[in-house]
Amino acid sequence: MPPVPSGSQTNRGAREMASDGPPPEQGKMEEASTTAAGSGASDLDDPHFMCCVCLELLYKPVVISCGHMSCFWCVHKTMHIIRESHCAICRQPYKHFPSICQLLHHLLLKLEPAEYKRREKEVLEEEKSIETYSPQIIEFLNSKNNEVGNNENRHEDSKTGPPQEVSLNGSIVDENSKKINLEDVACPLCKEMLYQPAVLNCGHVYCVSCLSSNDEALKCHVCGSLHPGDFPNVCLDLDHFLEEYFPAEYVSRGQKVQFKKGQCNREGSSSGTSCTKGSNRTQHDEDLANIHIGVGCDSCGAYPIRGKRYKCQDCTELIGFDLCDACYNSSSKLPGRFNQQHTPDHRMELDDSALLQRLLRIHGIPEDGQEELMMEEAVVAPGAMLHIVVDDQEMEDNGEEDQAL
Amino acid sequence: MVDVSRVQKELTECNRDREVSGVSIALHDGANISHLTGTIAGPADSPYEGGTFTIDIRLPGGYPFEPPKMQFITKVWHPNISSQNGAICLDILKDQWSPALTLKTALLSLQALLSCPAPDDPQDAVVAQQYLRDYPTFAATARYWTEAFAKCSSTGMEEKVQKLVEMGFPEELVRSTLKSVDGDENMALEKLCSG
Repeated sequence: MPPVPSGSQTNRGAREMASDGPPPEQGKMEEASTTAAGSGASDLDDPHFMCCVCLELLYKPVVISCGHMSCFWCVHKTMHIIRESHCAICRQPYKHFPSICQLLHHLLLKLEPAEYKRREKEVLEEEKSIETYSPQIIEFLNSKNNEVGNNENRHEDSKTGPPQEVSLNGSIVDENSKKINLEDVACPLCKEMLYQPAVLNCGHVYCVSCLSSNDEALKCHVCGSLHPGDFPNVCLDLDHFLEEYFPAEYVSRGQKVQFKKGQCNREGSSSGTSCTKGSNRTQHDEDLANIHIGVGCDSCGAYPIRGKRYKCQDCTELIGFDLCDACYNSSSKLPGRFNQQHTPDHRMELDDSALLQRLLRIHGIPEDGQEELMMEEAVVAPGAMLHIVVDDQEMEDNGEEDQAL
Repeated sequence: MVDVSRVQKELTECNRDREVSGVSIALHDGANISHLTGTIAGPADSPYEGGTFTIDIRLPGGYPFEPPKMQFITKVWHPNISSQNGAICLDILKDQWSPALTLKTALLSLQALLSCPAPDDPQDAVVAQQYLRDYPTFAATARYWTEAFAKCSSTGMEEKVQKLVEMGFPEELVRSTLKSVDGDENMALEKLCSG
């Protein structure tokens, strides 16, 4: 058997060990050393935060409502351009591309600064080649981020960039202190450490017990966006990490939540056991003809857009800026999903250039031929379909997210 | 483009515990990372026990977002594997593929498929019919095919290895050389002497 070309990995592992300056702290590093010893040249210190798709450290993590997470691009590439998408791990269906979970992003940046920066570079190279970028993440004011040169991150967002002085109180890392503070992992509602965290579509993280107290449609208390789709499941990877990293706090938080639950349990609600809620299957009665192939809403993340699609006439980015009907009417002010420089004064117009129905008509495929086409498509990988439909006709608009796929 | 770094990771990961898992993957021709050869051990308590099955693996450009293309090279008598060309009928290699799966998990699934055939969703109708109507004959045929096609190189292999080791070549080198020439003893010897 020819030798496996594993050179790059072993190299990287070695370099990482050498450059990962700060001495190991309790908990995480103990675990890291055992896994490293157990699995030989393991690329990752912390298997919790490995992306199941690229098998690397998560970069700009996105948490799907089933609680599983992947890198921004890994989720985007996994999503189906026509149908609802399914989680790569548990296959639970979802229809919205969630925003990056900034809490996790900052957590990883602090935990694995060297490796995270390496991933940043790697991904940026890739983004340059496809001329489509993932969103820039603004540093938090309270994040006391001092680990690595965060100037790189800031120059893109200079207008909102926090003042440099914030880092003066903690510019020297206490070698015995943990890289992560409790306030880095606090729930915005109860202000305490997250316990059984669940991540909303907008990327903000709450204790699942804090979320389930209100029965209305889920709305983020930080950014005000509605959470579409199923009630989010607990993000177990993050939960296990917190349990290991802050064992004492975790136990006391658990007791508190249990106590609270016991107090308001007379309704017999299924608070906390979100798994049962997550399992109610979305129906497969989608009207496929109203789907805009490979076009996502830049506000709520619906992908592909169903029904009316509004396209920005002024955004020059390759990927464009699009909104679904609901988001267009709610005049959302959220920035684009791919770092577009969209502003509210841009002109938005109805657009049906990627509408499946239209494409089929152009191709002269009869209505009843649709089913057949769809069956075929189910076997073909997501990316391939777009090429079949779009490539062989001169459409000006065949850019879109195809480029990103 | 195939995600090269992921494939390399997968190879390392898979071959790390090959003794335990019974599956391994190698590059088919050293240079091309999108053409691989997988090997699985026939599962115990099945007609395939003791056999070693090789599988041709081709990675499409969209891998891991598209499933790998797998086909048995070793002839197998199994309801879900074509006795003619080795084509495999397995959902995870088609529409049920997920990018969280790996080549290793796919090979392990094939191993499981050998253990538990699904004759209701056959690839080879003849085999499936036989499986359903006359299981003893099916099992005997499958065992015979295993004996005839999945063992020939491996049973003789140990003797060949021993012979060459006795000549003074290191065992590991002998094994890899034998494998590279498909078990041909004379060619292996030639290669060992020249190398």
